[in-house]
Amino acid sequence: MTSVYHVGMGDIVVAKHPVVLTSLGLGSCIGLVIYDDIAKVAGMSHIMLPNNHEGKDVKKLGKYADTAVPKLIEDLIALGALKSRLKAKMAGGAQMFSVPGKNSASFLAIGERNIETTKKMLEQYGIPLVASDVGGNKGRSVEFYTDNWIMIVKVIGSEVKKL
Amino acid sequence: MWLASEIGDRKMEYDELGKLSPFHLDVIRETVNIGAGNAATALSQLLGSVVTMDVPKAELVSIYELTDRYASPTELVCAVYLRFEGEISGNMLWIMSEETAQELVNILIKKDLGDMLQDQIDQIADSLLVEVGNIVLSSFLNAISAMINCALPVTVPAIAHDMLGAILDLLAAYYGMTGEVAIISETKLCVASNKNSLGGHVMLLPDPQSLSTLLSKLGVL
Repeated sequence: MTSVYHVGMGDIVVAKHPVVLTSLGLGSCIGLVIYDDIAKVAGMSHIMLPNNHEGKDVKKLGKYADTAVPKLIEDLIALGALKSRLKAKMAGGAQMFSVPGKNSASFLAIGERNIETTKKMLEQYGIPLVASDVGGNKGRSVEFYTDNWIMIVKVIGSEVKKL
Repeated sequence: MWLASEIGDRKMEYDELGKLSPFHLDVIRETVNIGAGNAATALSQLLGSVVTMDVPKAELVSIYELTDRYASPTELVCAVYLRFEGEISGNMLWIMSEETAQELVNILIKKDLGDMLQDQIDQIADSLLVEVGNIVLSSFLNAISAMINCALPVTVPAIAHDMLGAILDLLAAYYGMTGEVAIISETKLCVASNKNSLGGHVMLLPDPQSLSTLLSKLGVL
């Protein structure tokens, strides 16, 4: 039987096939999936922010892109994945509101920085990003199926995308 | 619980947001009460109908639970956002269901727009909602500004029609930058119209860095 896991903010969930991993209502956050389709394992991380600048102790490593990526890889390897076979798909990083001419409101563009840092981290760990749907100004819900390793992206008022 | 006298003039660091005492939260709740009262009056005058408000809330919420707290994160809502920046800075949000937004547009636009393109109607509706949001949120801030005797200039408001989770994501990320709790102070406005009772949630979201200034201006820090 296929289990469905909801990956909440800052969470990392890894599981063996058959499984559905979902994250609902992603705004500036990123839904990142890394998977190994031979070992049949996949993991999703719901990333909120780019970097853990202060190097603070965080309860959830999945909160920051720079701590989520290594942790997700580590968890997948522990579940039997081979690092050289890992591939990634991601969606999210929207900017929900824009306010003209205010530098101090730059946090509104946090989505853009989430995308950049996540991509940089994947590159650093040598994991190919095979598909993505990022940026823009609309929220997304994502579902990842280990049946076909496809990520479904839902946006209100648009057609469903398959990554 | 901390008493104000115990804190003295010690400045609150922003990573201490989670240590706000029930007393401080009460003071913030009362501030929301005053702001929202003014916002309700403004909305009432604009719509020509009675506007009531719920008992305000001021609470500390884990950023990880924020988006599931109010309703399903996939629920479609309309949100008007603006930012204020003065001695005290922060964000304001007016979140209402999409039906409420549509109802407000219907009340305020008396003219039949039937022969216009849907795109144009949507644009008119959005600019109307932004303006109503501006009036509601600015009235809220004006009351606070007068109370603490400090100017709170605001940005141009922005609007979004999207999933509730995606809107609240912004707050989770924002408060997440400095810690793991968010302060949510809000109340619900209810418009008593002929058929339905509509309104929406008005939220005051002070910057963590501004809390100590806000509390000291309110005379409790």
